Amino acid sequence: MGEQPVDRDTASAIQEFMFREALALDERRFRDWLAMLTDDIRYEAPLRVIREGLAVWDLSPTSRIFDDDRQTLEVRIQRLETDFAWAEQPPSQTRHFVTNVLADPGDNPDEYKVHSNCFIYRSRGTSPTPSLYSLSRKDVVRRTEDGWRLARRWAAFDQALINAHNLSILI
Amino acid sequence: MNTKPESQSLAAWVEETREGIDSGRFPVRAFNDQAVYDLEQERLFSKTWCFLAHESEIPHPGDYVTRYIGNNNLIVARDEHGEIHANLNMCRHRGNVMCKAEMGNASHFRCSYHGWTYKNSGELVGVPYMKEGYEGRLKRKDWGLVRVRVDSYEGLVFGCLDPEAPPLDEYLGGFQFYLDLYLKHGLGGVEVHGPPDHWIADTDWKICTENFAGDGYHTPVAHQWGFHLGYFPSSGSTHSQGWAVSIRGKGHGIGLGHGPNFPPFGGFPDDLVAEMKQSLSPEQVEVFSRTRTAVGSVFPNLSFLMQPFSLEPGEIGVRFVTMRLYHPVGPGRMEMYSWCLVPKNASQEYKKEAYRAYTLAFGQAGTFEQDDFENWTKVTQAAGMTMVRGVDFPYIMGMDSAPDPEFPGPGHAVVPYVNDTNFRNLWSRWADYLAGEA
Ligand code: FES
Ligand SMILES: [Fe+2]
Repeated sequence: MGEQPVDRDTASAIQEFMFREALALDERRFRDWLAMLTDDIRYEAPLRVIREGLAVWDLSPTSRIFDDDRQTLEVRIQRLETDFAWAEQPPSQTRHFVTNVLADPGDNPDEYKVHSNCFIYRSRGTSPTPSLYSLSRKDVVRRTEDGWRLARRWAAFDQALINAHNLSILI
Repeated sequence: MNTKPESQSLAAWVEETREGIDSGRFPVRAFNDQAVYDLEQERLFSKTWCFLAHESEIPHPGDYVTRYIGNNNLIVARDEHGEIHANLNMCRHRGNVMCKAEMGNASHFRCSYHGWTYKNSGELVGVPYMKEGYEGRLKRKDWGLVRVRVDSYEGLVFGCLDPEAPPLDEYLGGFQFYLDLYLKHGLGGVEVHGPPDHWIADTDWKICTENFAGDGYHTPVAHQWGFHLGYFPSSGSTHSQGWAVSIRGKGHGIGLGHGPNFPPFGGFPDDLVAEMKQSLSPEQVEVFSRTRTAVGSVFPNLSFLMQPFSLEPGEIGVRFVTMRLYHPVGPGRMEMYSWCLVPKNASQEYKKEAYRAYTLAFGQAGTFEQDDFENWTKVTQAAGMTMVRGVDFPYIMGMDSAPDPEFPGPGHAVVPYVNDTNFRNLWSRWADYLAGEA
């Protein structure tokens, strides 16, 4: 919107990065996934609240489902690597469908604001009923000497009352 | 295996259950059964004081949230004079829902069907075509929203559908002593950090109430990852130390886990500890300074947990408080509400730190929470099997433990912390209600 568009090569490189990032999660290559994040990553999912039409906000300014940084994401991954992460035994089968990827210039020269839609299909064990999550993501990706990195993940669930007994997956 | 016939009457089953609890047995069926669920709606949730909201969720005149007691949807609103009311979320004219949002602010509620308008206190003030249609026969004062009794303790607003039930103070029956740890750990009291996490699970509400009434037994296994990696400051060998305290005949219970090398009030910033020494009584300070984990349930479906969580293995970390409500939505199914409470006067920095520890441990993506619900969902599934009709669980830990005479707080305090005494108390209260004797 009035912003200088991102050139095609950059936009397609960013899109490919987003797809590879999702693939690492779906293939449960969590260490590879961590390597795709910057050291100053912010990883947040605000809580959605159902308010009347004219309300100032419907995403809580303070409540978060995820409120992570590099250190706490490492804790989550370390946990998954133990034999006691019961919520992921058996592991969830997830599929991240990432679409509508739009990149705009970011606040710093090497950064881009990336909007995407993300639909996650998650099934567990022998249950015939999957959990489905639809999210709007507003991320920041950064071009570094070592390649593209995710510097911010901001993802809002399109549902206030989440229909899953836990969220032991990454978004 | 002693399988009882399907035809056993519910009343007989409740009686048998009551007797069983005294000898340390509780039926599996209670955790996933349509008839039991229906009886709970009719006899339990219609009589107990049920948690509605924390005052800090509706701080300004007109603020409201919609909440439940049993299957009844209520509007909990602060009126223009600052007073809190609970009213059934149903228009008195033809039953339309008044507030379709979970929260908001309004001086009046106007029905979208025929336009009846109520003050946020529930009084009917506006009726279209009042003169022409009702010709003076409709008295506005008779047709306000259906009112629910409310009462509060230290910011916790409760509602009760039974006008005859004893007052909240009596209902809590001394459990306030323990609630103060969560609600008065700071001179200004506590506030919610934001709206509650909110999710739905195929889990029976009672499993959660029981777990939070002091199930220290599950922690070293269900949350083994935290012990294993050093993020949780207790070890398998010392974990059973501490007290289990129950309020006899009321159903409330709390587990107070100790850590032998855990410093007094460990995990709290110094200024908060200084405040607690003023806000709490000497007896409360004596009990709580030694407490590492405090996990308690207010009968029937409100729980609290305070525990430290560390991001550096081996360190004490930071304390956080979570408050949770288990709203039953069907047999073996519930809606979970989970809040983080923070001391109102604490620094922004501590509030943020405590909240981040909460989300990592006990929000809906929390690393402890995840494993709890994994277990609870499976327990619920098992309880729905027909073969378990007539099968009991053992509730015989600490069957003969005498109360600790040295314990400075109210209630029935036993050691060790790993104990079924609180659960027997909980289920016998529950059974009293189901039998129509509470
Ligand atoms: S149903 Fe509300 S005004 Fe008729
Ligand atoms: Fe637990």
